[in-house]
Amino acid sequence: MEAIAQKIREAAKKLLSEGKVDVVIGYAKGSVPMREYPYFAYTPEEAENLTWSSFCCNNLALYTIRRPGRMAVVAQGCVSRNLVNLINENQIKRENLYVIGLNSPGMVDRRKVQALFPGKTITEVIEEPEHLLVKGQGFEERIERKKFLRSNCLTCVQRNPVISDELIGQAGPEGHGGNIDNVAAPWEKLIPAERWAEMQETFKDCIRCYACRDACPLCYCYVCFVDEAQPQWCAKSQDEADVMTFHLLRAFHCAGRCTDCGTCESACPQGIKMRRLTSKIEKDIRELYGYRPGMEIGAQPPMSLFKPNDPQDFIK
Amino acid sequence: MSHKILAKDKLDAFLQGLCRDQDLFAPVMKDGKVGWAPVTTAAEALWEFSNSELSPKDFFFPQTECMMRFKNVQGDPQGMIMQAEPALNKPRVLLNIRPCDAKAFQVLDMIFVQDEMTNDLYWRDKREKTTLIGLACNDPCPTCFCTTVGSNPHGTTGLDVLLTDIGDKLVAESFTAKGEALLKELPEVTRQDLFQAGELKKAAEAKITSGVAVDKINAATVMELYDAPLWDRVMESCLNCGTCTFCCPTCHCFDIQDETQGEAGRRVRNWDYCMSWLFTMHGTGHNPRGTKKDRVRQRFMHKFKYIPVKRGGEIGCVGCGRCVQLCPVNIDVRKVVNDMNA
Amino acid sequence: MTEAQFEPRIAAFFCNWCTYGGADLAGVSRLQYPTNLRAIRIPCTGRMNPNFIMQAFRQGADGVWVSGCHPGDCHYIAGNLYARRRFTVFKNLLEYAGLEPGRLHFSWISSAEASKFQQTVIEVTDAVRALGPAQHLIKDIRKVA
Repeated sequence: MEAIAQKIREAAKKLLSEGKVDVVIGYAKGSVPMREYPYFAYTPEEAENLTWSSFCCNNLALYTIRRPGRMAVVAQGCVSRNLVNLINENQIKRENLYVIGLNSPGMVDRRKVQALFPGKTITEVIEEPEHLLVKGQGFEERIERKKFLRSNCLTCVQRNPVISDELIGQAGPEGHGGNIDNVAAPWEKLIPAERWAEMQETFKDCIRCYACRDACPLCYCYVCFVDEAQPQWCAKSQDEADVMTFHLLRAFHCAGRCTDCGTCESACPQGIKMRRLTSKIEKDIRELYGYRPGMEIGAQPPMSLFKPNDPQDFIK
Repeated sequence: MSHKILAKDKLDAFLQGLCRDQDLFAPVMKDGKVGWAPVTTAAEALWEFSNSELSPKDFFFPQTECMMRFKNVQGDPQGMIMQAEPALNKPRVLLNIRPCDAKAFQVLDMIFVQDEMTNDLYWRDKREKTTLIGLACNDPCPTCFCTTVGSNPHGTTGLDVLLTDIGDKLVAESFTAKGEALLKELPEVTRQDLFQAGELKKAAEAKITSGVAVDKINAATVMELYDAPLWDRVMESCLNCGTCTFCCPTCHCFDIQDETQGEAGRRVRNWDYCMSWLFTMHGTGHNPRGTKKDRVRQRFMHKFKYIPVKRGGEIGCVGCGRCVQLCPVNIDVRKVVNDMNA
Repeated sequence: MTEAQFEPRIAAFFCNWCTYGGADLAGVSRLQYPTNLRAIRIPCTGRMNPNFIMQAFRQGADGVWVSGCHPGDCHYIAGNLYARRRFTVFKNLLEYAGLEPGRLHFSWISSAEASKFQQTVIEVTDAVRALGPAQHLIKDIRKVA
């Protein structure tokens, strides 16, 4: 990890000192363990703060939206897919973008790590090639990194960047062995009443902070439907109907666009698994329309397309 | 007012007394998270924990609170007349609340109950009917910085009783008549127990190594801070989500809406947050806090400048560290405030 | 209320250029059909925002029915074909989340198909009636929080 981080810093310094870009958007080390944060380096000196670790969970494509000037973005597979999405949706211009691509090792879910030490405070996590050394008040344990990957990283299909102007390190293997169809599968087997019970259980802790929406590089509407007041599609209360309306429509708005980057789940302060909804849509889009979002510049988003023979068994 | 001893094997009897005609709540572990829930026995409650993930402010200031109801019919004699919602019907006890959270309620008292005109009966009703039994922090987190914002891991502000865990028993100190009454039956504390509690307090304070300084913020004018260049960097990564606000024990902004459905109508108060553009959006289409920078700045300025200026130096932050832990992009309030203080 | 007596309320969104006309023709042809639906005229099924469907359920509709022109017949050439993808994904999502199959219906009915309109009303009403009153997604402000 540190070797990759060093290469990122070198690449950023070079870009900034040569004046090729105005800013390099990458990750910096957070003030608490397991929480790296999006960092903007404007000078070669600031580029020293860039890092790369198992906890780079925010999707940096978000910060390219409506940002003027030339920018470089540190992009693993999912971030690059979202950049492609944004290019295809005419939100950013390829020529203003310099992609510092790299193979994603899969990011670690800090909640899974924390769950190993219930009620204890983790003070430091040290990266080792295949392990993480977790230290806290009165304990120290070495854990196997790949057992604690975020669930979306386990089902990843694109670890290498789709587009890149420069590749850091080597292109690596694809996949982590998981299958995204297994995320939706357990619910698909249930009867409607059980599914609804699962929905209630999944979203019962939602506090409607909208971190999932705000962290998502797909959610760039000037006015989100939940913020619309005339008409008000969704009231601001904690009523179940309002919470569900938000999550269902938010998920639907990601149809044919969601790259399963997992930033929504990583951002959620309550640990809600909203991928249970988006993974179902991802599966539908792939099976019905043969499309995977963000894989190719110039591809048309499936929800703005049709084919004469699209499936319509359910229409009378 | 008085110092008593509560032996751990007597806890259940003590809690039974509390439950008799009150609802008792305490932090519990559920799905790997610390949250608040009703309890009746000591075993259900947590006695060793850092703090609940979200603040307990919703006991007094629920995220969604129906304030009044009305019949949504024009022309009906009963129509469009607001009817008050019933007040809290049973007193409550919050057990094992952390001193920082209790301090936060005292800060909020200053805001919700100011004078005759600003006198929030929803807040006041629940506050008056609630007893706070605190549990001193013997083991603060690395993200705690209470001692630097006027609170303390063994702080007593806002509490009726403070419990300090000294091993096989708890030292119970009361500060109000309500607290005093609860401890009436308990045995007196020994000098040795008090000494031990004092030592634990010193040790806990020593464990708080991070903090904020506000001396220069106090000395600076509002406009100097407002125009400081730091906000351009603080706002960069901010998502403008509501996480920091909603987990914060002192954030208290809300939005009141009238909801109608056929003949039913109600006035509801929902939590709102300054990071949202909608929060300040005017009906005219003008937004006085139109940019992300304005909104990010507001949160820190409010807590560390506006509240101190208007409330006699009281800071709108109790140093619980929740926002530091939960912010999806790690905007660390300690760093921001220290930058403000530079 | 027993099952037999239950009369569902169904929000029906009809395209102005076809199903709405089909309903008209069914009316002037004196065709009999259940009266459980509340027809809402929309300019094209392409105008259907999934928000509308959600809103109907939130307001307590027991069923929602969207009907437009047959593929190829859209007044705006392809509105219904774009809509078809949206309906597919949205219906799958709602049913995945626990909405009972049979609450949400779609059909293609031209303005000449009065009897198909009559048949579909009967089918939709029967299906929704069989499910009983809606349970989920209802915003009810009378409930005490």
